[in-house]
Amino acid sequence: MEAIRPPSYAAANRDIIRVMFKPSFLYLAGLGVSVALVGLLAFCLLHEIWWGMGMAGTNNASFWGTYIVTFVFWVGIGHAGTLISAILFLVRSKWRTGVYRASEAMTVFAVMTAGLFPVLHLGRLWQVYWFFPYPNQRYLWVNFKSPLMWDVFAISTYFTVSAVFFYIGLIPDFAIVRDHNKGIISKVYDLLAVGWRGTNRQWHHYMAAYGFFAAFAAPLVLSVHSVVSWDFAMAVTAGWHSTIFPPYFVAGAIFSGCAMVITLLLPMSYIFGWKDYVNEWHYDALAKMCLLTSGILTYAYATEYFIGWYSQNPHEWEIFAWRATGEYAWAFWLMVFCNCIAPLPWYIPKLRTNPWVLWIIAGIINVGMWMERFNIVVSSTAHGFDPAMWRMYAPSMWEIGILLGSGGWFFMYFLLFSKTMPAVAIMEIKELIAAPVKGHVEAK
Amino acid sequence: MASLNRRDFMKALGLAGATAATASACNWDDNWYRTPVEEILPYLVKPEQVTPGTPTFFATTITTGPDAFPVTARHRDGRVINVGANRQLVAAGKAPSAVPKSALLELQRTYAPDRVRGPMDGGASTTWDAGLSKLATAVKDARAGGKTVAWIGPYRSGSMAQLIADFTDGNAVHWQPVGRAAEARAAEIVFGERRLPRYTISDAHYVLSFGAAFLGSWGGSALSHDFAMAKNPNHGGFIARFALVSPHQDQSGANADDWVAPHAGGEVAAAFAIAKLIADEKGYAGPANAMLSGVDPAANATAAGVELDKLKKVASAFAKASSAVAFPGAVEDVDLAVATLLINVVSGNVGKTVQTDGYAGPLHGTKDVTALVEKMKAGQVGVLLVDDVDPVYSLPPGLGFADALGKVGLVVALSSHPSETSAKAGLVLPTSTAFEDWGDEDLGDGTLLLRQPAMTPLYNTRSQGDVLLSVARAADLVAPMATTGTEASTEEGAEAPAEGEDTDAPAAPMADTTPLGFEPKTWQAYIATRWERQVYPLIGGGQPLPNWWARTLQAGMATLPSTHEGGHGVAGSGYTPPARGGEAGTALHLFLHPHRHDGTYASAPWAQEVADPMTGQVWNAWLEVSPDLAGELGVVDNDEVEVKTAAGSVRLGVEVYRGLKGKTAAFAFGQGHTTASGRYAADRGANAFSLVTGDVTDSDGNVLMVAKGVSISKTGAKATLVSTFGGDSDGGRNWGVSVNADALAKVGDKGQAHGGELTGIHHLPRDQRLAEKQRYNFYNHPERPTYRWSMTVDVNACDGCGVCAIACYAENNLAIVGKNLIKRGREMNWLRINRYWETVTDEHGESHADIQFVPMMCQHCGLAPCESVCPVLATYHNIDGLNAMVYNRCVGTRYCANNCPYVVRRFNFHSYVWPEPLHLQLNPDVSTRVMGVMEKCTFCVQRTRRIKDVYRDKGFTTTVPDEALRELPACAEACPTGALTFGNLNDPESVPAKTRMSARNYIIMGEFNTDSAINYLAKANFHVSEAAHHGGGHGGGHEGEHADGGEHGDGSHGDANGAGSHDGHEETDHGKAEHPAGAGEHH
Repeated sequence: MEAIRPPSYAAANRDIIRVMFKPSFLYLAGLGVSVALVGLLAFCLLHEIWWGMGMAGTNNASFWGTYIVTFVFWVGIGHAGTLISAILFLVRSKWRTGVYRASEAMTVFAVMTAGLFPVLHLGRLWQVYWFFPYPNQRYLWVNFKSPLMWDVFAISTYFTVSAVFFYIGLIPDFAIVRDHNKGIISKVYDLLAVGWRGTNRQWHHYMAAYGFFAAFAAPLVLSVHSVVSWDFAMAVTAGWHSTIFPPYFVAGAIFSGCAMVITLLLPMSYIFGWKDYVNEWHYDALAKMCLLTSGILTYAYATEYFIGWYSQNPHEWEIFAWRATGEYAWAFWLMVFCNCIAPLPWYIPKLRTNPWVLWIIAGIINVGMWMERFNIVVSSTAHGFDPAMWRMYAPSMWEIGILLGSGGWFFMYFLLFSKTMPAVAIMEIKELIAAPVKGHVEAK
Repeated sequence: MASLNRRDFMKALGLAGATAATASACNWDDNWYRTPVEEILPYLVKPEQVTPGTPTFFATTITTGPDAFPVTARHRDGRVINVGANRQLVAAGKAPSAVPKSALLELQRTYAPDRVRGPMDGGASTTWDAGLSKLATAVKDARAGGKTVAWIGPYRSGSMAQLIADFTDGNAVHWQPVGRAAEARAAEIVFGERRLPRYTISDAHYVLSFGAAFLGSWGGSALSHDFAMAKNPNHGGFIARFALVSPHQDQSGANADDWVAPHAGGEVAAAFAIAKLIADEKGYAGPANAMLSGVDPAANATAAGVELDKLKKVASAFAKASSAVAFPGAVEDVDLAVATLLINVVSGNVGKTVQTDGYAGPLHGTKDVTALVEKMKAGQVGVLLVDDVDPVYSLPPGLGFADALGKVGLVVALSSHPSETSAKAGLVLPTSTAFEDWGDEDLGDGTLLLRQPAMTPLYNTRSQGDVLLSVARAADLVAPMATTGTEASTEEGAEAPAEGEDTDAPAAPMADTTPLGFEPKTWQAYIATRWERQVYPLIGGGQPLPNWWARTLQAGMATLPSTHEGGHGVAGSGYTPPARGGEAGTALHLFLHPHRHDGTYASAPWAQEVADPMTGQVWNAWLEVSPDLAGELGVVDNDEVEVKTAAGSVRLGVEVYRGLKGKTAAFAFGQGHTTASGRYAADRGANAFSLVTGDVTDSDGNVLMVAKGVSISKTGAKATLVSTFGGDSDGGRNWGVSVNADALAKVGDKGQAHGGELTGIHHLPRDQRLAEKQRYNFYNHPERPTYRWSMTVDVNACDGCGVCAIACYAENNLAIVGKNLIKRGREMNWLRINRYWETVTDEHGESHADIQFVPMMCQHCGLAPCESVCPVLATYHNIDGLNAMVYNRCVGTRYCANNCPYVVRRFNFHSYVWPEPLHLQLNPDVSTRVMGVMEKCTFCVQRTRRIKDVYRDKGFTTTVPDEALRELPACAEACPTGALTFGNLNDPESVPAKTRMSARNYIIMGEFNTDSAINYLAKANFHVSEAAHHGGGHGGGHEGEHADGGEHGDGSHGDANGAGSHDGHEETDHGKAEHPAGAGEHH
């Protein structure tokens, strides 16, 4: 398979910067829809703050619902970026260069989206600051035993590090944008490039810093979703209380993240005409990642059932049997189809490179991973320990509004990113091109 | 900042200030999360009785007639906020410790927003003077025109019965739609005296019921208490067996060990067959034989639609029992009442379980109502006074009461509870409720109860007594000098032996029985004078009258020496049993609802909000349909059907119900009111009375409240039923555990029975296992040096009545959220009663229902899963072992609730409001919660805190004694059966500490090491195989679950102590534990 095929340094500069700043009608329409969805989010949220958490479909058995499902979903999405940018950087996997910038952006925005949910699902979200262990006269302190507390630190740390890492990667490219533009744009990117001149000394420090942050971010990839999984695994609730959760959640996160990268990057590369920079090589690699993690997930699902049966714990077995046969069986089988069966065609190499197959299967995986979290979060509590308190949950229109709004929130940022920042890392692309030693091909 | 000069700064400041002022003046929406602003005004001069923050208790009497019950009204800041047991009488053994459900519901009705707030004339407000003079004129005119002044109302006894009799010249009908008049009439037939039988069943070994809700809304709380005693293995060394012969298992019938289901209406034939069989078996040769001579058990069994063998079994068990009792049916029926009395007579139980000295006040059947209606139709009634009954709603439509009202000169509603009848009344003179009024009740056995107002009337209401007295004076009525009519004479008979029928009464101090007439100026004076003349001479004991009166008022009760000589012979009248059989085809069974009764309490939100014990239904009416009939009709839960009788047709949602057999459906009275009865009762399904055909009468001529010739058809639409119940069975999780009753009776409950004899439960006494556990515990146990609050829940005693849940609503200001929010699963109950409908198979391979009622509330775990997950420490373990909840610290993550294995935490999905004046009932000791915070049972922390203070002030420096704790929380106080007992687990003499040693003890989800503070005591069931293990082998849903691990309270599998000897035993028992019936049970 062919690697990146840009003709020259100059072409790389031109092709990637060309698409910035001038919005097409399609882009504006997309942005308009996203902003409208953010408006919907704000409306639904205000409505819920005003009238209470009762606007959601949650009940006395199932106290969490779409909000926590979607929270875990977005945190999961937020995994692939750092995995691709940090871990693949450390293992010197070359295919990352074409996709890592967009993946990192996706990570930062996905975590920003995810971060909305723990806040907006609070009964009294105006008191969210009580989560922080700040000194106060009332001697009130937080409970460091609570997995929710760990979440606060895990996610804020992950967001901070991902955002800094994202920004560091952008510095040389901001300088290129600065140099390709004039006037106010140049001024703005001058500031963003923090005086980048591309000197030897700067490159020396830069690479050291980049390596450091890559190393710093790599364990976070594993820790964040492990901590998120502890929200469930640390509980006594049957269906949650399981030691398999951390690896299973991390694998699921990478699975959904890679699928989301395909979902986002594939249309982008076609619309922007970036076949030379992002192409089958990348999709093939991403699809392979998905295949691997899909296998891990399938194994994890099977293990859950095995343990449920093998432990002979009536509560465990009840919940697992019910997931597959009860009222939420549709959600369970939809999850199995999307996550275990739908990716299988990718074992045929041709289908890993066909854009339509890629995009459709990636979309199915995104749905499947949301359903997986739905199965975990909702079904365990809906069908808990006391049969007399079995209650079904269904999302209300307000929750669906917030769910859609969160998509709008994410895409709004992503679309803004695609027009204001080089969505492919120019300077790293250049590392893959033969150096222009025979004189310059085309002036800038 | 050179650009901002001083003048601009001042302008900006002014603008900002004005904006802030405007904003703060904005009127916030009412529903917004808010802190209500109220001014606090301290007392300048403190009233003598009032200590701020301390409740005052007034002894009083709630509910009427035979079911009257002494209680205390808890009074705070000018209003009654709760009802409690009358501790003084409980301690003296004169009243069971309980709060009747009707008292709590009556309390809420007192604060009902839709109460009539002042006199109304033809729908418009009027003044009392105008209203009274209108009534007086009408009475005068009626009397002058030779027309009757009639009164219809609930069973009133004592002074009120006397006054009404005088006022109406004997034209008073004391009637309740599904009441107890038939029993009194039956007693007249059998014993020759019209008195209610009085049941004393605490020593009964065998209880036979033909469907009477004797553990629910029939017969008062004392029966529930006594029945629990009879089932208590520590009381007398036996466990009562309960057989139900009724087409329907209602909440009372759900407690039955044996169920024989005749066709609907077949109870009478079955009862006479049983009476005859018992008479034969016992060789009874008394006068009652005359009434049974014509009975052919075989023919009767066929008519009833049951196998004779089944009746023989019941009869034989009844005859063999050393003491036994038979109760009548679901609706009053003179023939059935005669039959049950005969059963009690021929088995020799009169004097043992059935006393003949019961309530002797006036009780009228439908016959008397029919007579009244005829009079009304004939235009002979000039004035009709309607007390707190609702005949328009609760009489069969065919009787034509509503139309007959139009022919009455003046219809006066004497109740402040609006109703369908009061909506048709020309004049509404709202009377004060029992909490606002004086009164007394005479229970007939010598017990007299006093009622005193515990608060000033909320509205412009007056006492019924005052109304009658002032109208009588204004209309120049003269009371008859000699009392006429049966009601008056029998009523007097109880109090004044000189005038009664009992000529052989013992000589007693002379009471002045001169009729009072209308001489006292007020109702209060009327009662005081009457007691002074008629009671004080008998039991005054030489005390000065004012002292005696004050003490009697304080106690709320007086006991006269019984004037009744027990052991009535059988009168042997010319009664012959009727030839009434059951309906073999599709039939409808009507029954009293345990909360709403006959509809009286439908207007109390608690009676709607607290789930129906059997179906979990709330805020609605539903049709219970037998599985067979459901299959035939092709309906499932929540399908709508049309139910049609000759009287009318209604549409109802279906609840497929296993407590019905054959082609029977059942429908509870109490719903289907119109808006005339207030907002809470309105539009809640259909009215069962509207289906009563009125063509079935007993041999006394009373129209029976039954529906004959019913047809049920599917409409195809869906109903909107809402139930709080999830699964039907506990699925082998040991939330409800039953043990073999025979084995239990042998072993007893106390001591160290090691499961060898007593199977079906865990094999080590609970504390021993806990000690075992704690040795290996990874976690630190919290320090609880002085108290560890704990509760014992006796599943064997609990009959599922649900009064605990209602008491909890009353005490803890639980929000009433209504049908729509409950549909979305958001009821706010801190205490629910899980009803598990298990099936057990006896050694003969027959399957029986084992219905367990398991009260479930916060377990106050020692190692609570909820506490560790709260990120802000809003819930924590306090030094008394309470799992405390700081509402103000809660941010509402709801993680605690997700992590609670008992699912007892409740979240405030919204801010809930109490429509005025319901908020006046709120308990000031308990904060109301706002939107977004979690709440749950606190073991009534406000009460435990208070009692600790009280005992500290008394000088008890150590701990509160156990006696003061047992019934401290509201639920335990209300419970009539003693199923809930509170105490300090650190005190080895406390009930919870002792029950931890009981062989019946089990701890729900003990294997989770939650260290729950609640001990459950297993239910005794006669059909659980002695050899079966773990919960009697019921409800096995999964092939694998018997393999223990999680099933044991604590995984005693691994314990060196229990497992080795026991494992083999378990293995051999699997076959029995896993019978097909159990497996089929599972959700």
